[in-house]
Amino acid sequence: MFTLHGTGVGFGIAIGTARLIRRPGQEVPEYSILSEQVDQEIQRLTNGIHSAAECLSAYYEDIREESADEVHAILDAHLLMLRDPVLLEQSALIIRERLVNAEFALQLHCENLQAVFRGIDDPYMRSKSDEISQVIGRIQDELLGQHAGQSSLKGIRKGEIIVTHDLMPADTIEYRKYHVGAFLTSLGGPISHTAILARSMQIPAIVGLHEGIRYLKTGDTLVIDGKRGVVLVEPDDAALDIYEKRAAKIRRVTRELEAIKYKPARTLDGQTIELNANIEFAEELRQSLECNASGIGLYRTESLYMNRKEFPDEAEQLDVYSTLLNATDRPVTIRTLDLGADKQVDGGRRNMSLATNPALGRRAIRLCLHDLTLFKPQLRALYRASIHGDLRIMVPMISNQAELDQLFIVLDEIRDELAHEKLPFKSRIPIGGMIEVPAAAVTADIFAKRLDFLSIGTNDLIQYTLAIDRIDDEVNYLYDPLHPAVLRLVKSVIDAGQNAGIPISMCGEMAGDIECTRILLALGLREFSMDSAVISEVKQRVRETHIGEIEPMVRDLLTTNESNPYRDLIRQINR
Amino acid sequence: MRLEQDIRVINKLGLHTRAAAKLVKLCSRFDSSIEISNSKRRADAKSILSIMMLAACQGTELKMVIEGEDATEAIRQITELFESRFEEQE
Repeated sequence: MFTLHGTGVGFGIAIGTARLIRRPGQEVPEYSILSEQVDQEIQRLTNGIHSAAECLSAYYEDIREESADEVHAILDAHLLMLRDPVLLEQSALIIRERLVNAEFALQLHCENLQAVFRGIDDPYMRSKSDEISQVIGRIQDELLGQHAGQSSLKGIRKGEIIVTHDLMPADTIEYRKYHVGAFLTSLGGPISHTAILARSMQIPAIVGLHEGIRYLKTGDTLVIDGKRGVVLVEPDDAALDIYEKRAAKIRRVTRELEAIKYKPARTLDGQTIELNANIEFAEELRQSLECNASGIGLYRTESLYMNRKEFPDEAEQLDVYSTLLNATDRPVTIRTLDLGADKQVDGGRRNMSLATNPALGRRAIRLCLHDLTLFKPQLRALYRASIHGDLRIMVPMISNQAELDQLFIVLDEIRDELAHEKLPFKSRIPIGGMIEVPAAAVTADIFAKRLDFLSIGTNDLIQYTLAIDRIDDEVNYLYDPLHPAVLRLVKSVIDAGQNAGIPISMCGEMAGDIECTRILLALGLREFSMDSAVISEVKQRVRETHIGEIEPMVRDLLTTNESNPYRDLIRQINR
Repeated sequence: MRLEQDIRVINKLGLHTRAAAKLVKLCSRFDSSIEISNSKRRADAKSILSIMMLAACQGTELKMVIEGEDATEAIRQITELFESRFEEQE
């Protein structure tokens, strides 16, 4: 038995056997053939292409009814590529001229095609070269499947654990079908496609295992702990027993949570609480609605800007926002660009200086107001998209009134421009601020008079208040959402909102932490926004809470001056 | 019959995979040979890989050469497809 460590994403525990999947970009076997074997090898190639096309087309038939037009279009194009005579001709030519096996000839052909794409200026077009390697990868998989009995997707059995280099967008359509148990990938981070897919399939995944996956082989028994990011390889009976019990418990809890999905989020003393979802990608909307979120409390727009050279223009953003708003009639809060600090972009963007302390540097609204060419297209897109649904705009990192002055001037300009251009938009969109700088929390009463809503961003608020960098291993033990300083700030923001008569919500991780739910309710919070996967858990906690009963204890919490009674009090509140 | 015509890519995303797929499907319905070229490359319009290699983004000027019985109808329908922005929004 040994363990591997990566970034855990998705949920729960999976126990199953490993299935290694080779993906384009990974090495394929390369060997020479004799000139008298050429015809035979070309025949092998022809068969491989043919069966890859058959297999894809059968799959296409299979899912045609239940899948979106978008998926049809991708599969259509992939089938056309597989049936394109040029693919066979060129690869056969390589076999003939270089006397190599079919898999490697395909690889060389693929690299030739990629080289052409790399020369293209247009970033969108360039990204399409992945699709070609995917299609060629399918043929290689077929060939290898025939050759050495290795895996291709079609042999996957339910519950198997997929071990691969990285998942691509197109894979995600297929894996749903197979009910796999978990994913392990060498690449990827918490917002990779693998992570999103795992979350939406509600299975665990561990990404970023790097070289670790080299130690795994098809057929290994694996235990995946998605929460801790640990893989147990060939566990002994004792470990297996522990994890089986844990997995069973998680399944039981999940069933219980499933049952309360459509019950109201109402406390024992009759307060109705709004539980919204945080999303990173527009595609996550569906999952949020499935979890019965009251709305989208935070749509982070950074993913639109990351991993690309050129920033998205107004038209692209308009398309994304309109699609999102059209898909639901529930309220959707979109946060304007929050780049900087831990979220740097790839592209060679001007002004993206690397400050000595990025968390305290020119980020979020500071960056946006500094560079209106970055900010205005987003705001224009938001205003134009507003006619498609119930949109609210939220601005991150505000810390003083001058920023609001500037923001309102820019918004006025945009409304004038759009009116002048005769483009439709809603002139009255609720504008809110994210309270995550202590200065803004302390002066929340002033912000509350000028804005339509406030949302407490606890991740940054806590790190700024406690002077703790959470990703610094040496101090992260000091990170404490329940520090009285944090709770007092949260309370003062909630009070400011109540006095001004505007809604206050919370969208940081604290909002989805059931250890904090009761305390926040007692402080007066009535709107929470969190990862949709934890909505049911928090709802259960809300339904078990009598706010009136815990209020006195939470009042004590704000003034307790010793650490031990403080912890006891928290335990008592959460009992 | 041999016809030649210049055509401009006006849809925002250009001749990307899905647009190329639509074009190839349409062209494959005709008996005529259809060749589309830019300043660097020539592509058989019935081969999706060749069309994708043109990497024609928005604004690219392409040249069509169509030879065969149904060339007139082919030109008409292909032009229509380009002008409809490959049925995309923009």
